Amino acid sequence: MDRALKSRLEAQLGSVIRGAVRQRGDQTEIRIAPADLPEVLRTVHESIDMRFEVLADLAGVDTGDTMQVVLHLWGERSSDWLRIIVEGLPREKPRCPSVTFLWPGAEWLEREAYDMFGIVFDGNRDLRRIFMPPDYQSFPLRKDFYLPDDASRSPGMGVRPVEKPHAPAVAEPDPAAAIRRSPAS
Amino acid sequence: MPRRADRTRQPGPAEALPAAGPRPSLDDPRVMLDRQAGALFEEIPPYPARTEREAEFYTPTEGELFLNIGPHHPATHGVMRLVVKLSGERVVDVDPVLGYLHRGVEKICENSDYYHVIDQVDPLEYVSSLFQEWAAVLAFEKLMEVEVPQRAEYIRVLSAELLRVQSHTLYMGFLALDLGGLTPILYSFIERDEIVEMLAALTGARMLFNYFRVGGVNGDLNHEFMSRLGDWMSRAGKQAEANAALLNENEIFVRRMRGVGVLDRATALGYGVTGGNLRASGVPFDLRRVHPYSVYPQLDFNVPTRQEGDSLARYLIRVDEIRESIRIIDQCLHQMPDGPIMAPRLPRLLRPKPGRAWGAVEGPRGMLGVYAVSDGTDQPFRFRIHDPSFLNLEVVPHLLPGNLLADTMAIVASLDPVMGGIDK
Amino acid sequence: MAVGKRGARPPKAASPGRAAEPARAAPIVVPNTFWRPAEPLAYRPGLEPDVTHLREFGQTDLGRRDDGRWEALQVIPTQADYILDLIRANSLWPLLSGLACCAFEMMSGATSKTDMDRWGMFPFRASPRQADVLIVAGTLTTKMAGPLVRLWEQMPEPKWSVALGDCTVSGGRYKRSYSTVQGIDRVMPVDVYIPGCPPRPEGLIYGMLQLGQLVKDRRGQWAEREIGPTVPDEV
Repeated sequence: MDRALKSRLEAQLGSVIRGAVRQRGDQTEIRIAPADLPEVLRTVHESIDMRFEVLADLAGVDTGDTMQVVLHLWGERSSDWLRIIVEGLPREKPRCPSVTFLWPGAEWLEREAYDMFGIVFDGNRDLRRIFMPPDYQSFPLRKDFYLPDDASRSPGMGVRPVEKPHAPAVAEPDPAAAIRRSPAS
Repeated sequence: MPRRADRTRQPGPAEALPAAGPRPSLDDPRVMLDRQAGALFEEIPPYPARTEREAEFYTPTEGELFLNIGPHHPATHGVMRLVVKLSGERVVDVDPVLGYLHRGVEKICENSDYYHVIDQVDPLEYVSSLFQEWAAVLAFEKLMEVEVPQRAEYIRVLSAELLRVQSHTLYMGFLALDLGGLTPILYSFIERDEIVEMLAALTGARMLFNYFRVGGVNGDLNHEFMSRLGDWMSRAGKQAEANAALLNENEIFVRRMRGVGVLDRATALGYGVTGGNLRASGVPFDLRRVHPYSVYPQLDFNVPTRQEGDSLARYLIRVDEIRESIRIIDQCLHQMPDGPIMAPRLPRLLRPKPGRAWGAVEGPRGMLGVYAVSDGTDQPFRFRIHDPSFLNLEVVPHLLPGNLLADTMAIVASLDPVMGGIDK
Repeated sequence: MAVGKRGARPPKAASPGRAAEPARAAPIVVPNTFWRPAEPLAYRPGLEPDVTHLREFGQTDLGRRDDGRWEALQVIPTQADYILDLIRANSLWPLLSGLACCAFEMMSGATSKTDMDRWGMFPFRASPRQADVLIVAGTLTTKMAGPLVRLWEQMPEPKWSVALGDCTVSGGRYKRSYSTVQGIDRVMPVDVYIPGCPPRPEGLIYGMLQLGQLVKDRRGQWAEREIGPTVPDEV
């Protein structure tokens, strides 16, 4: 729990951080809007007291209502992991600026987020599918992606009545209503 | 998946065949059978390039040719496809195509409860599966704020370091195999069999262990494991030295690896490379030291670092790490406390409160991270695995150009990719 | 493993106490259009296993050229066939087709501690043209299905295939995944299924020995194999 990091972040990025800087365990978390991402990253990457030089992860998250891009950074000056949640990406056309200007290695991570969620990264020179075949039409990790045989609702749930212990007693569940939404996260 | 029968039926009289002219007899050696089979998989473009990089790559200039290595090739570490653009024997550019082992683990984990997630996450880096489990349970323990008893931590470190020794030994064997040496792989597999039988006595399975649990480990040390471990430890050091000497003293191996595929520090950091590949480029980044977890602060070990950044340095780092891991195992055995192996008072069905957690461990290939988002139910809302081999492989288009085709395998093998983790 | 027509049984009639069984998926029988045998009669399916092709050959035009002589020689071709099958069974060369985790158990079965070389299976050929057995070890994804089927088709007859591990047998732990093939028998014919996740190398050896037994039992009949799910759809 790096209190100094929290104060540094609030001092340098207070205007773009949405809400408070949350800290739990060894992680510090800030939430920003997509348009602010390049500025935030430049600040945390280059500022003398906060040199977060290692990009640990770039992931997409589908919260049911919106999409998020979550970055994890590590730096020598702080004992915490910094988590940057870029939130508020609309579900129909999620766009986010690319971080490849700072970390060329994020190209593949962004390709993966595009492949799984459909998040378009502006500035990524190579935004094509990385895992699925190039002519695949859907984005698998979205919450409204269902396999036709009801598979993604439960791994062990079969089709026979005896294999459905917890399934709701509806004939044809409404896919829009059945999207799992995360509680205000 | 479209049915094969639709594609392999004999074309009717009205159907236009792609080949011009009368249909040649099947015995004609020039017949292209895949035209009859239809396009079963994607071809090398010229379909219209979708991105800038594709256009740049798939436009050959004078004297360049495309060579497709994989997905089935005896030297790829699993199913990976490298489309290599060659000018003569020199590689000009390379486009790795992944996804041939994409199994949808993250989606399955969203629909599994927390115990099943630990099982599902095993086959990612199947060579060293305990590290993925460790990253996952680390993230879950942060979500649930569970304290792990000391004995369980020591057992975790012990089994994980054993697996690290096994993974590095296999790495040496596969590196030699990719370069054409058929002997070291046999020695590696002897070592691997011993370690894996040991871990089978401890965990019950040879490969996909499913051993770590949120709050501890599944089973305590038993007599079979300890006797095998003692047996192995008595000759581990000498055996590791002998295995390393097979390759270190081999002039062909050293000359093929020295100076090949030099990865400089700035590029390595920019690409997010972690693990032995980063330490071979001069950055002493080892999560066990820079961001310690478990009982690593109480263990005494060095972090081998080299400055050259070539394939030989990457290989020698793994050799050094085997030695360090054997030291760690020794210390674990001496420092192992008594006590429980699972945290007390854990509910049978894990339902962490809503929140997010990131846990990262130092695996044999680099930093393995797990980002878990919980929404209060018994299934994770989002389970994101960050695999080190993914970014390790991303430097391949940066390292290969300028080298000969024969160095392709040396460089790719020295980065130690495991396709299960890359493709998730 | 018998190569019979699967799903050929008619579905059970619906009675008041029993719901109608859903239709079983019909297997996809792929005729072997890529290679025509010189003697079509030799590869007709459904013949009894101890009828060798040479006896049928004796009833065709080519075989009837010299009537009396072939009858006495029936014993020798039968024995030759048997020896040929023994030779094939004891020298099955696998194709290096390790996709995922099971590949490690396959390699472990091929290296020193459990040694497949004892049964002649040491040379893992890299080229499908030189291989006899395709041991599919590891999860098959939809992207890889194309290359794998192409590998299978490139292997010359006689060839057999072994599904190693749960993922290739039935989809295994990836049964509910969007990008894996639920068992390789959906895309290519399989002779031996070896379950396990991953199966021990000894299990692989057992499967390969069963394959050897199969080679000897079939006596050269490996005609049109069936591709398709061998279990009913609803399971």
